[in-house]
Formats: sequence, structure tokens, C-alpha cells
Amino acid sequence: MIIAIKNRKKTLAVASLIIMLTIASITSYLFDRMGFPETNIVLIYFFSVILISRFTPGYGYGIVASIAATLLFNYLFTSPYYTLTVDNPSYIITFVIMTMTAVITSALTTRTTQNKLRAEEKEREAKALYNLTSRLTDALDIHQIASVSAQMISEVLNCEAACLPFNHKGEPEDYFIQQLREGKQLSEKVEDPDEIKYRISSLRNGYDITSRFYDWPIYGQENILGIIRIPVDTAEDLDETHRRLLLSMIENTALAMDRVYLAEERIRSFEETTQERHRGNLLRGISHDLRTPLSGIMATSEMLKGMTEPTDMRYEMLEAINNDAIWLHSLVENVLSLTRLQDGKLTLNKEEEALEEVIDDAIRQIKKRSPDQEIQVDMPDELLLIPMDGKLILQVFINLLENAIKHTQTSMPVTIIVKKEELENKVDISIVDQGSGIDEKDLENIFKPFYTSGAKHADAYNRTGLGLSICDSVVKAHGGYIEARNRTEQQGAEVIFSLPLEGDTIDTV
Amino acid sequence: MTQYNEVILVVEDDPQIRNFLCYTLQNEQFKFLSTGTAQGALNTVVSEQIDLIILDLGLPDFDGLKVIEKVREWSDMPIIIVSARDQDKEKAHALDLGADDYLTKPFSATELLARIRVAFRHYFRHASIQVQTEASVGELRIDFDKRLVTLADEPVHTTPMEYQLLALFFRNIGKVLTTSYILKEIWGTAYGEDTQALRTMMAGLRRKIEEKPAQPKYIITEIGVGYRLVED
Repeated sequence: MIIAIKNRKKTLAVASLIIMLTIASITSYLFDRMGFPETNIVLIYFFSVILISRFTPGYGYGIVASIAATLLFNYLFTSPYYTLTVDNPSYIITFVIMTMTAVITSALTTRTTQNKLRAEEKEREAKALYNLTSRLTDALDIHQIASVSAQMISEVLNCEAACLPFNHKGEPEDYFIQQLREGKQLSEKVEDPDEIKYRISSLRNGYDITSRFYDWPIYGQENILGIIRIPVDTAEDLDETHRRLLLSMIENTALAMDRVYLAEERIRSFEETTQERHRGNLLRGISHDLRTPLSGIMATSEMLKGMTEPTDMRYEMLEAINNDAIWLHSLVENVLSLTRLQDGKLTLNKEEEALEEVIDDAIRQIKKRSPDQEIQVDMPDELLLIPMDGKLILQVFINLLENAIKHTQTSMPVTIIVKKEELENKVDISIVDQGSGIDEKDLENIFKPFYTSGAKHADAYNRTGLGLSICDSVVKAHGGYIEARNRTEQQGAEVIFSLPLEGDTIDTV
Repeated sequence: MTQYNEVILVVEDDPQIRNFLCYTLQNEQFKFLSTGTAQGALNTVVSEQIDLIILDLGLPDFDGLKVIEKVREWSDMPIIIVSARDQDKEKAHALDLGADDYLTKPFSATELLARIRVAFRHYFRHASIQVQTEASVGELRIDFDKRLVTLADEPVHTTPMEYQLLALFFRNIGKVLTTSYILKEIWGTAYGEDTQALRTMMAGLRRKIEEKPAQPKYIITEIGVGYRLVED
């Protein structure tokens, strides 16, 4: 179709060239007959050249017209007539000057025309883009955007364009929107979305060619948002201007799609945080309510135990109740610490605490439950004031000590070793036991929430690995690191965590 | 078993803990009354002869802190707070309002009875105007007249501030002292809440009297609340 238009334009230009020059020649002939001077004839030819340049595209016709006009003048109006030779050599100069003037004039005229055309084109482009943008702004979701952009691109390129949006995961959708000539739109099934995705993501030269369409990807900020499909015959004949316009329109579509996805993303993440907060509140509420009755069970079962002879079989049952209650209670405390952390980084109440005081408090709490366990502390004599949330770090010590004691026989001491790393401006704290050690394959998972060792220690008091994962979260929130390993020099495990001494801690969990 | 004449008021809304408290008291031959509300507590305190209150902070009708305030308007009877583990602020607040000690749930009968004993001893010591000249805990001994501190009969060289601090603890053996109370007593009100200075001084003192500062025998830390000189 475009080829036809081009041919017609060419014929029209050639015709107007011939007609103009013919008219000029006839008029000049009449003037000559009437005895007007030759200058008038030259001017008439100039005029025809200007007109030709004005109404034909490009410089070519103007230049051809200039030369033709000089030749015609030579042929028709200089003696000897009807030959291309001249008697008077001074005519040569006339011809040269005439040709040059005609060429320059025609070039100037053509340039003006072209500028005008370009300006018009620019205006059309701007208008098309403006229309597209303003309609895209009103679009509420990705399908409306696809529909608008298919329609506008079809109008501008005068074809039946289509648009296939990708979802927020970057996967092509099942249907693409096909614009039809009557202004209607159609949803067409995508034959093989995976193949399209593969081809689009491995593009090299800006577009992909299929049997029906040229597919231009719509690149978003992070991934591909969709493709614009231009019918093959239109796409093959796109001139530079239209190609540029098409790319601009795709760019605008991408901006609009990005905007929609960002808005959706925001809503989604807002909903997620709200849900998360509700969950946290619920969990905190339940844990809170569990605490009081558990305290009661702990106290009364212990009391009843004290009133029972150890030989009585009820003694053992009461002891089991008491132990379960203690375990549940520490789980509840851990869940509460966890909800405090997850609730947001803001609840970290950091203050400078003396490390020895925290360790003292932790040991005393442990001794309440395991009075016979020996715990050694090896720390520098210097007072270590560390910025921390005292309650949470206390929980870390309690959890790590409990964990160490659980895997150690009572006769074996558990040791807390504190080392100040002056250069790195931090304190390293290790809790060392002489127990059975940690299974190699558990080492890297040990700090994951609810990770339960599948190996030998699958007893009732090891059901959830919540304690260690809280240690991990708390230490990381303080800007430190935590790591578990087996001792090399002898049997046992070692958990090391570090705390920065001052300043620059990051409040992330 | 000794028969006590003092009457203890138990204020606790959770029936199981209340039963536990009452049973423990009964077992130790204490006389006691119990109520589940703050209003009930205030009513009982004025209508009966009460010598000590065990008070839960989370009561259904109004805050336990109110009860402390009201009682302290006219009486200095010992008040022992019962609270959950994450109520540090309330705990410290209650102590500053005039409560004598606290227990964190879950606690054992032994802990409860120890707190009651300490509270009574202080109450009666204050009541009798008799001036103490010396006091001791374990091998740590203080002579108020000579302003001398000894550890296993060896003199401990303390700075005047450290001596004041130790003297304060010895006048309150077994009782928890909040950070703000200690600051007020030692530095005076002008000093504000400079807990850092106190921590540093406490660390210095510990290094003089404790064998292992991280496992102190005498002055222990109650994180978020204050310090306590343990009783034998």
C-alpha cells in the first residue's frame, strides 16, 4: 500500500515537472513572439523551477528542472534555434549562471518546503504522543493501557497493531489485544507464550519477527512489560519518522505500565504489612494470654511436687507437668521477643548496658531452672559497656545457654567466653559446651526459624528451633553476626556471636 | 513452725495464681485475705488491719499503680509487686512510687517467702528506731561508725562515693533498689538520670568486692530495674 502511494507521488512529481516546464516554454514562446526581451524568458523559467521545487518532494526534481530549463532556453530561444549549440559564446556564461541560480533557488525552496513538512510531522508526532499520554493517564489497569496503546499506534501507523501485556511476574498473558480497522478490538489467544517470552528476552536488534507481526518489546524499569505487535507489511515499510514515533509511543506505554505495576505493588505490600501486623498482634495477644495460666501451672505443679514423696508415682507426673509448663513458658517468651522484633526495627530499645550485668542476670535465670548446672564465665576485667536492647540480648544468652545445657550432661560445665576485639571495635561472645556437638548437616540451618534437627535429638523439647532463630534475628538487628560450629580441640559445640561496641549499627532485621 | 500474727493481703485476679499465693501463705502459717480487684484491695486496706500487700499490677478494674499511690498516702506498709516479665517500666515505676519489692511471674514459693521475709524485716527495722552500727552479708561487712568495709576481714579501699553506695545497699539488704532511687540517694536530684555513671561506679565496686564480676555473690543486677544486695 505504501509502495503504491510512493509510486503515485513519483508519477505526480514527474508530471508536474513536465507540465510546468511546458507551460513555461509556451509562455516564453508567446513573450518572444511579442518581442519581450530574453530576460523575461529566463525569469519565467526561474519561476517554473521554483514552483516545481515547491510542489515536488526532495532536491532531485528541482535540480533536474533547473538543468532542463537551461537546456530548453538554449534549445528554443537562442540562435541557432532548435539546436543545443549557440552562436554567441557569451550565452555560455548566461547558461552557467542561469543553471546555478536555478539550482540554488530550487534548493532553497525545497529546504523551506521540507522544513515545513518536518515541522508538520513533528507536530503530528507530538499530538499523537500527547493523545496517547493523556489517554494512558486515564487507564486504570494494564489491559486498558494495552488497549489504548494498540488503538493509538494503529491510528498513527494506519495499520492493525496489537498489544500483548505481560503480568507483574514478567510472564506473557494468554490473550493479546488486536485492533481492527473498524475501530473495534479483539482478544486473541496467544499460541505459545513461553516461546514469545524466550524470543523477546533473547532479543538482539530491538524487535522480533514472526510470520504475522514484528514484535517490539515494552521495556519497563525492571523487566519486560509486554510487546507491541505491528503487522509485517506495515513494519517492513516503516520510515525513520514513523519508526521513531512508534518507539516513543512504546516508551510512553512502558511508563504507564510501570506506573500501574508500581501502584499495584504498593497496594500489595501495604496489604501484606497490614496482614503481617495483624498476625503479629494476634500472636502477641495469644502469647500474652498464655503466660499467666502457664505461670500458675508452673507454680502449682512445682508446689504439688514439693508436697509429694519422690517415691510416689504422682511425683514423676507432676514433674512432667512442670517441665512441660516450663518449656511452654520459654516458648511463649521467645514468641513474644520475636513479635517485638518483627513488629518493626523501631522497638529496639538500645541503651548502653554493662555486659557483665546481662550475663549475671542470664545465669541467675538459668540457675533457677537448672540449679546444678555449672556455668563458667571467662571475660576481660575491663568494664564493657555495649549499646544493646538489654532484654533481647538477655534472651539471646538464655536461649544459647539453654540450648547448650540441653545437649550437655549436667556434670560438664558450660562456658561463656568474652573477648574484646579492639581493632574491629566489637566484642565476640562464645557459649561453649562439651556435649555431643552439632550434626554437620544441621550447622547451616540451625538459625532458621522452626528448623528441627532431623537427627538424633528429636525429643519433645526440641520441637521448634525458635530459640536459636531469635538469637540470629536479635544479634543481626544489633549489627552483629552469629555462627555455630563444632569445637576442634575436643567434643562439644560452640556458638559465637559478636556485638559492635558503639555507633554505626544498622537497624535491620 | 512459727505462727505469724501479721496479716497479708493478696491482690491477684488470676484464680490459679491467687490460689497458689494463698496456699503458700497458709502453708507458712500466715494470716491472709484475698481479693481480685483494685477497688477490693483499697476497701480491705482501710477496713482491716493489714501488714503487707502482695499486688498484681494487671488488675481488671484499674491499674495496680493507683493502689500503691493511694496506700502510700497514709501508710508505709510493705507492698510486693507481682508482674509479667516484660513489664520493666511498670515495675520500676511501681518501686519508685513506694512499692518495696517485686516478683516476676513465674516465681516459686521459695522466692515469694524470701521476699516477704525481707520486706517484714525492713519494715520492723525502720519501725524500731534502734540505730545500726554494723551489718554484714557473707564475708562482706560494713561498719557504719568507722565508715569501714571489710571483705573476709581484709579492709576494702573504697572511694567516698562507693562507700555511700555500699552503705545504701547495706541499709536495704535483700531489697531491690531502682536505678533512679540510687541516683537520687547518692548524687542528689540535680544529677538526673545518668545511669551510665552508676553503671561505671557499680562495675568499679564489683571489682573490689566480687571474685567474679560476671557472677557476683553480693550485688546482683535486675536488668531494666536496678540492683539488689542479696541476703544470706
